[in-house]
Amino acid sequence: MSAATAPKPFDRPRFLPVFTGLFFVFMFAPIVIVALFSFNSTKSLQRFEGFSLMWYQRFFEDESLRDSLFASIQIAFVTMVVATALGTMLAFALVRARTRWAGSANVLMLIPLVTPEIVAAVSALVLFTQIGLQLSLQTVTIAHITFSISYVTVVVRARLAALNPEVEQAALDLGATRWGTLRLVTLPELWPAIVAAALLTFALSFDDFVISFFTTGESPQPLPVRIYSAIRFGVTPTINAIGTMMLTVSALLIALAIALPRLLGRRESGLGVLVGREGA
Amino acid sequence: MSEQRFATTLLVPGGLWLLLCFAVPLALVLAASFGSTDDLGNTIYGWHPENYEQAFDPLFVPVLLRSVGYAVATVALCLLIGYPVAYYIARYGGRWKHMLIALVVLPFFVNYLVRTYAWVALLADEGLVNGAITNVGVRDTGIKFLNTDFAVIGGLVYGYLAFMILPIYAAIDRMDQALVEAGKDLYGTPWNTFRHVTWPATFQGVLAGAVLVFLPAVGDFISAQLLGGPGTYMVGNLIQQQFLGADNWPFGAALTTLLLVFLSFWMVLYLRSAARASREAAV
Amino acid sequence: MLNQKIDRRDLLVAGAGLALAGCGVGNSGSGSKKETEKVVKAKPDGDLVYFNWAEYLDPALIKKFEKRYGVKVRQSNFDSMSSMMAKLRSGNRYDVIFPDQSFAPKLIAANQLLKIDKEQLKNYDNVWKFFHDPAYDKGAEHTVPYGLYATGILWNEEKVSDMTGSWADLFKTDAKGKIYMLDDFQECLGMANLRHGFDLSTTNPDEIDKSKEMLIDQKPLLRGYSTDDIQNMINGNAWIHHGWNGDVVNLRNQVKNPEAYRFEKCKEGIPVGSDTMAIPANAQHPGTALLFIDFMLEPENASQNVAYFGYPMAVTGAEAAFAKIAKDDPAVNITVEDVQNGQQFASLTGEDKALWDRAWTEVKAA
Repeated sequence: MSAATAPKPFDRPRFLPVFTGLFFVFMFAPIVIVALFSFNSTKSLQRFEGFSLMWYQRFFEDESLRDSLFASIQIAFVTMVVATALGTMLAFALVRARTRWAGSANVLMLIPLVTPEIVAAVSALVLFTQIGLQLSLQTVTIAHITFSISYVTVVVRARLAALNPEVEQAALDLGATRWGTLRLVTLPELWPAIVAAALLTFALSFDDFVISFFTTGESPQPLPVRIYSAIRFGVTPTINAIGTMMLTVSALLIALAIALPRLLGRRESGLGVLVGREGA
Repeated sequence: MSEQRFATTLLVPGGLWLLLCFAVPLALVLAASFGSTDDLGNTIYGWHPENYEQAFDPLFVPVLLRSVGYAVATVALCLLIGYPVAYYIARYGGRWKHMLIALVVLPFFVNYLVRTYAWVALLADEGLVNGAITNVGVRDTGIKFLNTDFAVIGGLVYGYLAFMILPIYAAIDRMDQALVEAGKDLYGTPWNTFRHVTWPATFQGVLAGAVLVFLPAVGDFISAQLLGGPGTYMVGNLIQQQFLGADNWPFGAALTTLLLVFLSFWMVLYLRSAARASREAAV
Repeated sequence: MLNQKIDRRDLLVAGAGLALAGCGVGNSGSGSKKETEKVVKAKPDGDLVYFNWAEYLDPALIKKFEKRYGVKVRQSNFDSMSSMMAKLRSGNRYDVIFPDQSFAPKLIAANQLLKIDKEQLKNYDNVWKFFHDPAYDKGAEHTVPYGLYATGILWNEEKVSDMTGSWADLFKTDAKGKIYMLDDFQECLGMANLRHGFDLSTTNPDEIDKSKEMLIDQKPLLRGYSTDDIQNMINGNAWIHHGWNGDVVNLRNQVKNPEAYRFEKCKEGIPVGSDTMAIPANAQHPGTALLFIDFMLEPENASQNVAYFGYPMAVTGAEAAFAKIAKDDPAVNITVEDVQNGQQFASLTGEDKALWDRAWTEVKAA
């Protein structure tokens, strides 16, 4: 068999890059359109008339939309902090504990990951109404935290399982307490995963619609719920402005998630942590 | 303290939260599914299994079949589109690998609603795409893209494609290149190499992607609501209607429970397969 | 992540955690009569949480109200009576809501609406006499009338012609894919009932079944179900739309070619009704709500509103505004006599409501 084998259609340089290029066009076209028309000087979503920042202006002048933006940020921030804390602890427990409780907790942790959002949303709604809790930002936050814990656990656990337990053992032998070891040895090693998980949680919460839709109170409502109402009840390009801003925030978060561990001196990027967890 | 004690202590906060805010509500949903409603639509607990009978009659099954149909089509399309892209980035991405994958993930972080709505603007009867078609002269009148089955499937594919690409990318990335080289020598044609070497090696990634796309797609209601028409009702729309439209929470709860059971079945199947595969790989 | 084997016993233990919680916890939903008889004075006591159909109250009037009393109006919209009820049931608290005459009795019976002290409404005398004691609210203790409406068909004359003044126009095959029906179980089943010659609000299961079949057969012709008739007509998605009389006026105010948009009432029967303004018993700012209702009863404001949304309001002093509209287009006219004698949607309860709900869900899912 000679080294100069026949051309390989599947590997032929032309097909794959072209296909991938088309893929990116397909993925980004609507986003580019959204961003572009957010600067449109007229209401039209079909023709670009001229450049204008009026829709952004309208957004920032609209007090209730501003309230919604802050509400979304607030919810996402609290969700990020609480879910990351709870999820990291849970990850540690699941990797190290061998008890019966750990097994059940593992199952309990996995179920939210495969629960369709609508089921999650419905069950949260039922919970709040049955215990008589009025729907509000707090209820949305509680629901968001519930569904973020599992993501954090999974991301952190993958990293934790790969760590070398001998370093911790050495610290313990040298007289450190369990908590001290956790703080000074384990957490620094886990840091890229924790940061990645935290930022992922923030982004998912900020963007969430389904759960927020079912558990939100009246005022203020998270931004995605406002977008839905605007789409259903009369569309203005303010939606495009909101969408573009949310995109920018999310893009910054991803950039952070990837770059931060590198910046802090780690060898791998946060993305590797996120991606590495997928797949069997 | 012992490691076990320490670890178990750490288990408590997260575990308790999940128990109270996730497990208990699901139990409430289950309980509500056996209830009935009063005149204002409030739920009264009781024993009314007829909610489930209702769910199984000609009403629910076609909607579920349609949802599953859409989800399967979505998985197939995601695979057809996603595999080559993942392959290209993993094998030929080189220095740009991470950036390309980040670009794949980036649209996913734009709000799902906004992305879907952008397609509505693009595909509307008087939208950009139809505008281009009529201006260029391909057709006289626009094509009706929206409010069709295809629009809904397209919306689902667009929404979940990243979930398919990431696991496949990870699997291909992890794959030992030497195997592929050996395969090329052994099998001759690229197609055979793919069939006998690459595909089996990445199969677990494909399976993970399929599950990650299928499960949420079945319960999705946004694509159907924004892009679909009267004939594209999915399970998610039905459940949403029972809770936020009609006055029937118990029936909605019954549907929700059935949906969860249906999806859990596939999830368990997948986990068993994955566990078996990793056992075999470890051998 | 997904490598863990699931032990069956682990699942059971986890499942045990799920089992016991559901017993005995329910929510009552029905309020106490005392709550509805709270004494409330009409004065600003906070921002107004307003819950209404979309495009159903002049935004300029909202601004006027905000300026006059120095409060903000936080607006939310619903797109059907059912969604309004669902949001109320979810525990959301609103200050002023707009139930129609078929849903108001339900809320009243369940003690969900505040008793309105007429002394607090300076302009109450402007309300037409007929509504001082309507059938849906004895003594008008809990509601104040808003707009009067009739259901018919809107259409775009530039796209469709030869409309026949019958509900059959919603089944025109030459407009296939451009027809919308209202996303409302009472409106749709009611239309089919009228077309069959049944009572508008029949509760006969066989008749409902036939109407259900008619609606299912109609589905291939439809573009969608929506109560957003104004926007669907404007953006060209709808050539024919099941809708309400005033909306054609509202829509004409927004387009460059108002003559193209027409409305017709149908010979087989015309559903009519009236919307109301009401204050939920658990409103957090009922004082502001009373001020708002009073504000809308001022003849000048009512007239401005009529010109905006095209429906008559039951307020003396607003008749001229509507008469002008009706003169330009008699098809949208509706009078108190129409409301008195016309067919109204009944307030369905219990088994009857379940029958209608069930039929509607089947139509939607088909």
